[in-house]
Amino acid sequence: MELYKKSAAELSKLLRSKEVSACEILDDTLARIEAVEPQVDAFLSVTAQTAREKAKAVDAKIAGGEAIGALAGIPVGIKDNICTKGIATTCASKMLENFVPPYNATVMDKLEAADAVIPGKLNMDEFAMGGSCENSHFKPTKNPWDTSRVPGGSSGGSAASVAACEVPLSLGSDTGGSVRCPAGLCGVVGLKPTYGAVSRFGLVAFASSLDQIGPFGRTVDDVAMLFGAICGKDSAHDATSRDYQFPGMTEGVKGLRIGIPKEYFGSGISEEVKTSVLKAVEELRMLGAEVVEISLPSTDYALSAYYILSSAEASSNLARYDGVKYGYSGNRKGSLNELYLTTRSEGFGAEVKRRIMLGTYVLSSGYYDAYYKRAKMVQRMIGAEFEQAFQKCDVIATPTTPSTAFKLGEKMNDPVEMYASDVCTVTVNIAGLPGISVPCGFGEGNLPIGLQLIGPKFSEAKLLGVAKTYETAKGGFAVKEL
Amino acid sequence: MNREDYEVIVGLEVHAELCTETKIFCSCKNAFGAEVNTLCCPVCMGMPGTLPMLNKQVVDYAIKMGHALNCKINRVTKTDRKNYFYPDLPKAYQISQFDIPLCENGSIDILMDGQVRRIGITRIHIEEDAGKLIRDDSFDGTLADYNRCGVPLIEIVSEPDLRSAEEAKMYMEAITNILLYLGISDAKMQEGSVRADVNVSVRPRGQTKFGTRTEMKNVNSFGAVYRAIQYEANRQIEVLENGGVIEQETRRWDDAKGVNFVLRTKEDAQDYRYFPEPDLLAFEVSEAHVQELKDSIPELPVAKTLRYVKDYKLQPVDAELLASNRARSEFFDSCVKLGKCDTKLICNWMIGDIAKILNERRIEIDDTALTKENLTEMITLIEKGTISNTAAKTVLDCIIEKDVAPQEVVKEKGLAQISDSSALEAIVQEVLANNPKAIADYKSGKTNVVGFLVGQCMKASKGQGNPAILREMMLKAIDTL
Amino acid sequence: MEIDVRRVAKLAMLEIPEDEVEKYEKELSRIVAMTEHLPEVENAKTLIDTENKMQLREDVVEPSYPRDAMLKNVPQAIAGCIVVPKTVE
Repeated sequence: MELYKKSAAELSKLLRSKEVSACEILDDTLARIEAVEPQVDAFLSVTAQTAREKAKAVDAKIAGGEAIGALAGIPVGIKDNICTKGIATTCASKMLENFVPPYNATVMDKLEAADAVIPGKLNMDEFAMGGSCENSHFKPTKNPWDTSRVPGGSSGGSAASVAACEVPLSLGSDTGGSVRCPAGLCGVVGLKPTYGAVSRFGLVAFASSLDQIGPFGRTVDDVAMLFGAICGKDSAHDATSRDYQFPGMTEGVKGLRIGIPKEYFGSGISEEVKTSVLKAVEELRMLGAEVVEISLPSTDYALSAYYILSSAEASSNLARYDGVKYGYSGNRKGSLNELYLTTRSEGFGAEVKRRIMLGTYVLSSGYYDAYYKRAKMVQRMIGAEFEQAFQKCDVIATPTTPSTAFKLGEKMNDPVEMYASDVCTVTVNIAGLPGISVPCGFGEGNLPIGLQLIGPKFSEAKLLGVAKTYETAKGGFAVKEL
Repeated sequence: MNREDYEVIVGLEVHAELCTETKIFCSCKNAFGAEVNTLCCPVCMGMPGTLPMLNKQVVDYAIKMGHALNCKINRVTKTDRKNYFYPDLPKAYQISQFDIPLCENGSIDILMDGQVRRIGITRIHIEEDAGKLIRDDSFDGTLADYNRCGVPLIEIVSEPDLRSAEEAKMYMEAITNILLYLGISDAKMQEGSVRADVNVSVRPRGQTKFGTRTEMKNVNSFGAVYRAIQYEANRQIEVLENGGVIEQETRRWDDAKGVNFVLRTKEDAQDYRYFPEPDLLAFEVSEAHVQELKDSIPELPVAKTLRYVKDYKLQPVDAELLASNRARSEFFDSCVKLGKCDTKLICNWMIGDIAKILNERRIEIDDTALTKENLTEMITLIEKGTISNTAAKTVLDCIIEKDVAPQEVVKEKGLAQISDSSALEAIVQEVLANNPKAIADYKSGKTNVVGFLVGQCMKASKGQGNPAILREMMLKAIDTL
Repeated sequence: MEIDVRRVAKLAMLEIPEDEVEKYEKELSRIVAMTEHLPEVENAKTLIDTENKMQLREDVVEPSYPRDAMLKNVPQAIAGCIVVPKTVE
């Protein structure tokens, strides 16, 4: 049985009807990982032993007639910036190459309680900074649809592992598009939840006010299932988390008003992407939705505001990596300053240093008002515009990325162009909204194109519902044979 | 110009550790003196992915201090990050408050030579303490203990209203007393739970513009505050007198050597890159809660001192001493309220024998069995002449141990004073017989020897003789010799 | 826009090789240039999100972590302490 091709929902059914065991699912997963990793390079570590212990425990529960969790026996891959107790959490950085957290992220505790099986940790751009997964200190991950191309980033490993059927589900994190963009480029479903819907405790911080953990899957049902398991208030550990329970997806799109913001269909967006996205919108209209044109004029400022705010926070969040308490430690024979400088200069990669420099600069004395404060103003404007837009429509449809997956190495020497690939996704983080990327066809070279749906805060049920309606109408999303 | 021609201007930033159960941002125990790095968790060690959770009690304590110092309370506020690298700061930023402190625009009254001086309070904000660095010459490195990381602090910033080292010291003492009064800090300077950054400048008297100031960080005793200011003011005056200029700089006060030296010049001034803490949201304290905290503020030491002097005619020194301890002064107040005996006598016992016993045993009045009824009854017995002061001390020893009526103690121990002269006559005669030299001295004009003779009588009567009557009898007897 | 890369690097505690200073200057300037068309801040008042307020934590002790667990990732520890190069301040 090719279990690896099955969705989490299907696996769950097979497990509950005792047609397969958790150990069998895991064996199949590990075999699949071994088979395709050479082409995809999505994993940074495979944790077969701990996964097997969990799978056995799940099987024992089933054998003993005990109740099992919602994700029992389902393999879930974890982006390597989510802390896993006793398992290395590297952020794909030399800085944390040997860091083994003595604590779990809250989402890991939730997955454990839901009886999920964790087969390993997934590659990413270093400290989640990047849009191609090439900023990993260890290796670039490849796009399963064309392994000469990037999977997108920063959660490239999370998207590629799901697209390559190594795992049915994975977790990533999204600060400016890091779940949605790779989901779009790899042809899978990726959800960036409302800020505060999922606890950030144990997610290694990049930009605290923008970061959210989000699920990937090959079907909308699977993504909803994983989201339902990880969301909710974390009153013990995360002051920014909000009281929220996932009520289950809404059904259908009859009477649904879909807003099309013209600013997201400008000259920076490739024609094939525009065409595919608008075609998907048209299909939703045929299913009963209403399409309205809207305007989000501050979108033009979003990218700058995003890079100011995220880099400012990053420069502070990443200051703790100083060679004293954990992680890479540079020259320990010299002065304190030498230890700091060597640790940080040798331990961080080029992109991380660039963002730290930018963030330090915009916060430094004399520049704070010009950059940080202005960016905060833009954040308010963007939030207000979305609120107004949601008076006129229920969800907003845009492209996820301006183009399909680019070649490995293509944008490595041009950070500004690389930053532009987040142009469609950053506003969602800036405004703290939920957004989902759903596959909506293919461009030249059979490369996936993503449709982004954006909703008001805590409208995940509706976003997933719309995505599900579209998925059903399309007869499911294509999976790449590897 | 002479030193006297200069005015010294001082502003203090006092950091006080709050005695909450837990740290400010995690649930680790807030305690002093534990074994190194045993009161730590991933949050206070600044491990990747960890997040702060603000302790409600810290906010309440800070607001209480704000009320005590007559501040405006900012009910809606936030926290900010102060960024700098140092090994005692695991996150490389301190969570503090920048532009919206919890409390601002207050004042404190201090007593200088019985006169009230009002010192402005700029602000009070909450923040986290850093860890402890242990340096040892035998080891080529520094050791870090993170137990103190995340211990809650309030920083109380004064206006530059203090005009001498003396005043600054008094201010520190007043702040410390209030912290203790409110029960929000152990205020133990020797444990570093209260420390001050001292800003000093000087200017010729009559000049309205402030001089350039220097800052000395982490001065940690009342004495050190005094000495550091004296030294720095003298240094600045000397520089000016020699035609120099004062540089705006941070200096380090070495209390052992009694000197300070430059730590950082203005050019290396730190750029802390403050920005709003994104891991914590803004928070609001309800109006009702702010009021509730205000209502919980007791009468404070200075107000108490003034009341004692005005209402009870206590000596200012005694009043201040009595008022400086909340538990003792409240016990005193409750005794006075009973209206059974002389207020001054209560005060004398409180700041005399009772204080001595408490201080010796390092306990507080609430740790003893002493009740207001027993103490006032004991004093009443003295007033009535039933017992002597000496016997009262024995009574006090008993009623401090056990809630027993002083009358009972007097009866049981036979402490009642003897005022019956026929019962004392034998003692007087015996003392006279045993002290011929004293009698001779008296006859030669040294009349104050009577005191000695009465003392001998008291001794012979085991403290029970009424000293006034004994004195009368003694004078009569000696004159008839 | 002139950016003092050396000063920023010092604040960020990063060593930027001399031959990379110019590259950084250019890159940062380009990124910063993206921000130049941002609207001016009219209302300089502190930005505070008042609609979404935080709940505070109750002051109840929970056990700390075992010291061994806390020191496991420390590059160098002696006698339960974390070792750092000699400090003066």
